[in-house]
Amino acid sequence: MFRLFKTLNRLALIKATIAAVLTIALVLIGSRNLQNFDPALIAYLIGTVFAIFGIAYRYSVWIQRPPTKLYWRRSMQFLFSKYFFPYLWRSTKLFFRNILFQRFIAYRSRTRWFGHFMLATGCLLAFAITVPLTFGWIHFVLKPGDETTYYALLFGFEAGSFSLGSPLAFIAFHGLVWCSVLVTIGAVMMMKRRFTDGGLIATQSFENDWLPLILLIAISVTGLGISYDYTFLEGKTYQFMAVTHAITVVLFLVWLPFGKFFHIYQRLAQLGANLYKTEGKRRGMATCPHTGKEFATQTHINDLKKVSKELGFNYDKEGGRNHMDLSPEGKRSALATAHLKARKEGGKLFG
Amino acid sequence: MPETNYDQEMAFFVDMQRCIGCHACEMACAECETNGQESMIHVNYVDREKSPQTTVQVCMHCEDPTCANVCPADAIHQDEFGVVHSANTSRCIGCSNCVLACPFGVPKKMEEAELMMKCNMCYDRTSAGKKPMCATVCPSQALFFGTKEEIERMRPDSEPVNSFLFGQQEVNTKVNVMMPKGTHQLIIP
Amino acid sequence: MAKLPVSVDKIIEKHGPHKAYAPQTGFQGNKEPDKLVKTHCCYCGMQCGIKLKVKDNKIAGFEPWEEFPFNEGRLCPKGVMRYMQNNHPDRLMDPVERVEGKGFKPVDWEHAMGRTVNEIKRIQEKYGKDAFAMLSGVSLTNEKSYMIGKFARVALKTANLDYNGRLCMVSAGGGNKKAFGLDRTSNSWADLKHAEVILIAGANVSETFPTLTHYIWQARDNGAKLIVVDPRMIPLARTADLHLPVRPGGDSALFGAILKIMVDNDWLDHDFIDNHTTGFQDTIDAVKDYDLDWAEEHTGISKDLIYQAAEMWGKANTSFLLHARGIEHHTKGVENVLSCINIVLASGRIGRPYCGYGTITGQGNGQGGREHGHKCDQLPGNRDITNPEHRKYISEVWGIDEKDMPGKGLSAYEQIEAIHRGEIKGMISICFNPLVSLPNNNFVREALEKLEFYVCIDTFLSETARHADIVMAGSLHEEEEGTVTTAEGRVVKINEAITPPKNTRRDGEIIMELAARLGEKDKFDFATSEDIFNELRVASKGGTADYYGITYKKVVDNMGIFWPCKTLDDPGTPRLWEDKKFATADQKAHFNPVSYRPASEMPNKEFPVVLTTGRVVSQYLSGSSTRRIGKLIDQYPEPLLEIHPKLAFQYGIENHDLIKVKTRRGEAEFPAHVVETIREDTVFIPYHWGGKHSANQLTIDNLDPVSKIPEFKVCACQLEKTGQKGSQHLTDTAYQSSL
Repeated sequence: MFRLFKTLNRLALIKATIAAVLTIALVLIGSRNLQNFDPALIAYLIGTVFAIFGIAYRYSVWIQRPPTKLYWRRSMQFLFSKYFFPYLWRSTKLFFRNILFQRFIAYRSRTRWFGHFMLATGCLLAFAITVPLTFGWIHFVLKPGDETTYYALLFGFEAGSFSLGSPLAFIAFHGLVWCSVLVTIGAVMMMKRRFTDGGLIATQSFENDWLPLILLIAISVTGLGISYDYTFLEGKTYQFMAVTHAITVVLFLVWLPFGKFFHIYQRLAQLGANLYKTEGKRRGMATCPHTGKEFATQTHINDLKKVSKELGFNYDKEGGRNHMDLSPEGKRSALATAHLKARKEGGKLFG
Repeated sequence: MPETNYDQEMAFFVDMQRCIGCHACEMACAECETNGQESMIHVNYVDREKSPQTTVQVCMHCEDPTCANVCPADAIHQDEFGVVHSANTSRCIGCSNCVLACPFGVPKKMEEAELMMKCNMCYDRTSAGKKPMCATVCPSQALFFGTKEEIERMRPDSEPVNSFLFGQQEVNTKVNVMMPKGTHQLIIP
Repeated sequence: MAKLPVSVDKIIEKHGPHKAYAPQTGFQGNKEPDKLVKTHCCYCGMQCGIKLKVKDNKIAGFEPWEEFPFNEGRLCPKGVMRYMQNNHPDRLMDPVERVEGKGFKPVDWEHAMGRTVNEIKRIQEKYGKDAFAMLSGVSLTNEKSYMIGKFARVALKTANLDYNGRLCMVSAGGGNKKAFGLDRTSNSWADLKHAEVILIAGANVSETFPTLTHYIWQARDNGAKLIVVDPRMIPLARTADLHLPVRPGGDSALFGAILKIMVDNDWLDHDFIDNHTTGFQDTIDAVKDYDLDWAEEHTGISKDLIYQAAEMWGKANTSFLLHARGIEHHTKGVENVLSCINIVLASGRIGRPYCGYGTITGQGNGQGGREHGHKCDQLPGNRDITNPEHRKYISEVWGIDEKDMPGKGLSAYEQIEAIHRGEIKGMISICFNPLVSLPNNNFVREALEKLEFYVCIDTFLSETARHADIVMAGSLHEEEEGTVTTAEGRVVKINEAITPPKNTRRDGEIIMELAARLGEKDKFDFATSEDIFNELRVASKGGTADYYGITYKKVVDNMGIFWPCKTLDDPGTPRLWEDKKFATADQKAHFNPVSYRPASEMPNKEFPVVLTTGRVVSQYLSGSSTRRIGKLIDQYPEPLLEIHPKLAFQYGIENHDLIKVKTRRGEAEFPAHVVETIREDTVFIPYHWGGKHSANQLTIDNLDPVSKIPEFKVCACQLEKTGQKGSQHLTDTAYQSSL
């Protein structure tokens, strides 16, 4: 199935290395030569750099696959065309609608959308908070002489301040708590489906479907544990909470490029697919020779013929025709027609 | 994780010439729990003006599925029993490559949900040792699910064929089509 | 006063038909039902076994019942969707009463019962007992059918009881009684499997009895030849060895010609004819002039095909002949049936393995419902209401004086005519939607409007129920226990899966209470359905349809028992006539001479096209229940006019053009469906719809003189283009207006 996927991929290795080195460089720059880096986060940093390496590698390998490559190329080509602005606008709208808000899931099921939205929002917000902190890109300091005002440093530059005990401070310091709550609600909802939906029960697997949910809940719960500990237990269980949290997060980071979570990055391709369809429609539709009805864009059909050949499938027929010129209904009818003919030639339709 | 009871002795046999176009399979398919009231099987007239001939199409579960190969999102998975599953919902980006590339015209794009869905041989039932809904209810037994011995006994003059030639492309499948004795391939010109 | 209380649109808005779908993830409890109840599909005479999923006293879905011997889990789309009639938003949840200008308002049972009984008494006192009539239906169980027969005669004391089997297969019943002295398919379907030739006349098996297809295909796997006689290339005919596209009304000409060819070639079983039949010589004399030229002219089938069919049939060693409404819905329905029986008897292929004959009865309990006193001329056990001995026996069973037993009443359509004449003033109906299912239904509507009082027992407000003064909210198939007899004569058990919703009642309870209020409580004192069945067993004892040896336990243990079953240790009779002793007085099978005569309304210059009607696979009869199930409607949303391209060309008709079809009785518009699969001189419209979509506005109300079946299958029409395109996708596909 994954013909191009079996051996180590040099191009991807190079790209991933570049990405990892670039990240480290940005960490050094952003944290002012580690001046603003919090050594307690070293495990997280290593994990994140590994994750970036892994994601870049996997993404690069993925994008080399002929169908993906084609979509990638076409998306770029269509975006950077004379329709740049309308397409950019369209893509931005869809980015909000389908990537940030995942509205398309609501058409599969509304509760499922809600669960996923909670889960995804929690995760994305948490990333937005933790990654800059881990990289030392954001750093909070107290200035000498003022014990109540926190100053936030972004890439070493002062980027705002707030006083201790203010609502802003409360929100800022508890950001991850809110994320954890969202993730936990979402993950529990998604888990419940996996317990009750007969279809899911039949097709799910532990490593692809349950482990990610368990991991997310573990991260959220231990994260909440840290917060609970210093708010109510005066740090009595800090060591335990911090270590388990670190372990779950690092596990998550290492898992990020390989498992279910890769879909977060993949999902962006949906924008490309949409653009592809929009531009394709503008260029003209393909008509099925059997049904006489339009069924897809001609660009899509032409591209697919090419891509499938690259993948080793040749549906060319006599007289310059190709099986893919037929719509799905046309293909089914062609099969039935061929079958009837063969049956008739065999002399018996039954028996 | 799911305990599977998939019986590899059981196979799927299709004979479109027995199909009476009643759509019982389609109604029953929607009862399958993996696809939530959506029907994955296709029943259509071949050329209604000329004939009441209908065809019925389940996923043929190709040995090397074109759909999975052309999927840009690696969303289509073939399991150890050779069952080609419906798109992984988290991965599928709704591009329709599979819909247009499948030589049998099987996958369906659910437009609003940006999702491809297809027949997975009633995996919720077959993995529990039951027969797929469509083949269980099919009143003409154009769809039959059972052992090879059973079908050979019942239809001694026919031969299960699982090789198809579309132009230059040979496609081998898990699902069989019943053909005249001595035929080894169905050629679609 | 049985006119609509408010506009039809208002009634539809409130009571439907509305399309219902299951929720996206199925009904609550679909995955973990409280129980699975083994029962049967309610939608045709095959009575396929099915298991209903029950959760919290609601039907949540179904599971195939693979152990049931007839269908082994196989179902048609109606069967799969059967569970959707439950939980339906259109369901009548209370008895309702007509309020002029308002519609139908819920009333309590006391009021519904009280008013009904008062009206019955008032009308009967004023106009006589027979002025209050009853119409019933054979989607009801044997128990209910039996009890209604008794109710009409004992409690209502009216002669005018008839049922919707009158438009189903009474002509087949009539023919069978004449020929065999008994009315049942002679074999179980199992005998199809190894029949060498299967001849199917006027039976759209693949759409009306889809699950029977498997048996025919199996026979073909075993080498059987299939001959299909039908004006249309139905799905079954597409692959048939011979398809004889008979002109509607040409059936007896065809079978007469086949008989002549058999005689000419001596493809006859002389031994059987000589020893076990009567009337052979007269019968062949009647067809002696039916040569191939004559046959071609009168059937519209090429000589060649007729001869091939006769040869195939004549030379076979084993065979099975099946027919259904296609040859039965004629003013010569009984003659058509007898012409079929004649070629069966001439072949001698009956009463042996794989040698069979029968009508495929259409309705859920079309077989059992026509045996136990549901008909205007009949008493339980398929006894004759005019036969003094039969009257005496049943009067004893019922505990009444034979003199009080009403005589033969009017048949269903004759009742409609009697309303017009002012002889019938009041009516009670159950399980019958005559406004959709009877021919010339504008005439039927006018009749309903003339009734002084009309009460209807139903689960939905059907097109007919809209004309009622009181509608009593009855029970669905899955809400009352009982038995039905399938088209092959197998008595099977219907189980109560759920109890009826709070303010609705089991049909049986409604009938029993009415009987009690009419002063006959002691004769309708049944605690269970089984009690009714046990009385039926006794009542049928000694009749031709003898159920005495059948008990609930036996039915369940054996997954069905074939009648006749005369004693408790009798295993039942899947195959009749093995002893060659027929149920006639002389114990011989009777040939009956059949001379061809044309249909009552033949095409002429003014009405040049033959109109025939029939069914589609996704709908059942008048659609009272199936026209409310979303997916079934979507499969075939509205009736289309099937027309051959050559005929269409003459009128300049293209696909989807909206065509006005006119007959001497009415007119209606249908989108054209231009297909080569119908005769060039014939158009076809399916009849399941009401109001302006109803094909039965056009059909003719002439009746067969013997069986009183209407001639649904032939009338003459004219076609007119409206210049409009028909709707390919109606916005409101459930819309059925009455006017």
